[in-house]
Amino acid sequence: MFALEFPPINEILRWTDVVPSVNKIALIAIAAVVVASVIFLIAGNADGSTAPRGVRNLAESIVEFIEGQIIMPTMGRDGLGWTPFLLSLFSFIYLCNVPGVIPIIQMPATARMAIPLFLSLLVWVIFIGVGFKHQGIGYLKNSLFPPGVPAALYLLVTPIEFISTFLVRPFSLTVRLFANMLAGHILLVTFALLTEELVQGGSIVLKPVGILPFFMLVFLTAFEVLVAFLQAYIFTILAAVYIGGAAHPEH
Amino acid sequence: MLRAVVTNGPNGLEVFLAADSESSSESEYTPEDCEFAPDNPEAFTGLGDCGAGPSPILPEAKELAWGAGTFIVFALLMRFFLYPRLRRSMDARYEAIRAGHTEADAMRQAARSEVATYESALAEVKAEASARVDAARAQLEQERGAQLAEANERISARRDAAAAEAAAAHEAARAEIGSAVAAVASRTVELATGKAPDAATMSRVVDEAMSAGVSR
Repeated sequence: MFALEFPPINEILRWTDVVPSVNKIALIAIAAVVVASVIFLIAGNADGSTAPRGVRNLAESIVEFIEGQIIMPTMGRDGLGWTPFLLSLFSFIYLCNVPGVIPIIQMPATARMAIPLFLSLLVWVIFIGVGFKHQGIGYLKNSLFPPGVPAALYLLVTPIEFISTFLVRPFSLTVRLFANMLAGHILLVTFALLTEELVQGGSIVLKPVGILPFFMLVFLTAFEVLVAFLQAYIFTILAAVYIGGAAHPEH
Repeated sequence: MLRAVVTNGPNGLEVFLAADSESSSESEYTPEDCEFAPDNPEAFTGLGDCGAGPSPILPEAKELAWGAGTFIVFALLMRFFLYPRLRRSMDARYEAIRAGHTEADAMRQAARSEVATYESALAEVKAEASARVDAARAQLEQERGAQLAEANERISARRDAAAAEAAAAHEAARAEIGSAVAAVASRTVELATGKAPDAATMSRVVDEAMSAGVSR
């Protein structure tokens, strides 16, 4: 038999500095911004009078996706002013997620806590700011004392609303993105190690069995591409829901 | 006195015993053997002094700084440069498409209007042609009736003339026959009686006999 030696969690997440204070996570974040900027720059410079193709088609599809699938259903036409922010959010998260399945890099930057935490806190600050901007101090009243609730129930509802709106939202945004990407990364590592162990370290009888975790690895890699998109979409749509809800309390 | 040191080294958990008086220089490990650098390399005595490594949960300050910095730069670029540029050209194209649609609608409307005008003119022309055909037909009918009446009149006049002619010829033939009969009868009477009858009487008798024969 063989013994599968799974590396400590820190080993699969450890990123030594490439140069002082710049590790691979920082490089992925920089690369994400550069790639997204180049895409939108090329798209902006392309001939806009003809039917979009190539990079421009990609950029316009992303813009239309953000406007049509995220802003319009959650914020309505008034929310279109948030397109640049939500577009940045979606593009940045997706491009930080997707290196998890790119050979050699194979690490989603969002599988570390820092980037999801910062983005969640940013969304948290923004939706609270939007709430105060649109409703003034009434934002707190509308958030903590939802209309239509019997007065006696406020004893129960108000603390729940406070916790869910002001504490849990940034926490859940952070953990959802971070945990999903980390779990996906660990799954890929697990099946990669299992495949390697069976093919290289296993007995002659077990070597063919290595094909099973290999297929699983291929499937999970494809699945992680979907997860990368899905998590970017979920984070962005929740940000839009929170901002839209703060701007329009009737929603 | 010995103490047990448990470390998480590169080869998994490792346990070794070390004397309290053992100095770092006497240890078989150096700070370079650590997976993570020790917090205080000068006080390094063994793998137990190695750094714990970054927490897999807690955010690292440098990652937080880089993530925040890059995203803020990107969001500002997107807000003030990248998105407006793309949006403007998208709007221009949508506007051109909308203008094209509007122009096409106007052309379609104009074409429909022209078709309606054409159909109205065609109906007018058809009605006028029909009226003219009806008028021509009525005129033709009237002329035909007139010509028919004229022809009938001509035929009737010719028939009357022919009848008169026939009557005259009949009368002449009758008179001729009557005179011939009267002559034959006069000669017969003369031969029978030896006396020539009166010509007027004979002529009257023959006329009466012939008239009676005709009436019978």
